Amino acid sequence: MALTITCPICGKRNGYEFRFGGEEKGPRPAAHGLNPETWCDYVHNNNCVAGVQKEWWSHRDGCGSWFTIFRNTLTNLEADEPEERYEQV
Amino acid sequence: MENIKRVSPVVFKARPVKTEIRDNWAVTLEYDAEGPGPYLIDLSHRTRWDVQDGNLDEITPWEVAIPETPGKSIMEKGFLINRMNRTQASVWHLTGEQPDAPDGPAYTETTDATMFVALIGRKTYAIAEKLTSLDLANPAQKTPFLLQGPIAHVPCQVVTLAQSGEHCDILFTCSRGYAQSMVGAILEAGEEFGLRPAGEAAFSKI
Repeated sequence: MALTITCPICGKRNGYEFRFGGEEKGPRPAAHGLNPETWCDYVHNNNCVAGVQKEWWSHRDGCGSWFTIFRNTLTNLEADEPEERYEQV
Repeated sequence: MENIKRVSPVVFKARPVKTEIRDNWAVTLEYDAEGPGPYLIDLSHRTRWDVQDGNLDEITPWEVAIPETPGKSIMEKGFLINRMNRTQASVWHLTGEQPDAPDGPAYTETTDATMFVALIGRKTYAIAEKLTSLDLANPAQKTPFLLQGPIAHVPCQVVTLAQSGEHCDILFTCSRGYAQSMVGAILEAGEEFGLRPAGEAAFSKI
């Protein structure tokens, strides 16, 4: 297990101390005008990026805090925030 | 309520030679053949509180200010106060007479929900290294300091009270249900270093 995660309170720790909380998907859709398709898409559909993505993690065995990090899903290593997260089309 | 009996979750396979009843706990002050150390000491009878509030900086348990930075601890007036995160701190009463329970919704007493032990004496750093990957003797940290993480795979709050060379005096708590397994794992890890159970009197010496 090479994954180490940097907790904002406890610092760099073994990945086994943490619980995965899923991709960061941005703010919850507004309740006004929300239809089932949009909600289903927000809850269930993931981007599954092959590369660096922003994720939620909880320090389950430590301070218990929830926070986001960037992780390279190809190497399973914590990564720096990419300068350009989205390519301009 | 005069006949209640409070029972520590920690039981050592050693013969107590000096005990006393304190606040309905049977406290062992000394065990037979404690040896020169290192020692594992049960302090589960020592009162502990969890403090939670959105404005933690405005709360001063027993007129002691809670450290501002998570991971920092302060020892004052017999209390060890550990800042856990933005809204939470733990308070451990270590020395002196039993204090009055604090007022206010921020406090929750956790004494009976957790176990509390001390690992002190020589070679304790080597014992701790067999049990956890936490850096309990980080020279960059000023003692006392708090780490939150696993010991023997059990989530714990760990405070390093003092550190020098091969030894570090540490205190830690975890959920009560893990107590016997934890004590077994710690004593087994410390067997090669002469780790023995000791009574509260050994802790009072430091």
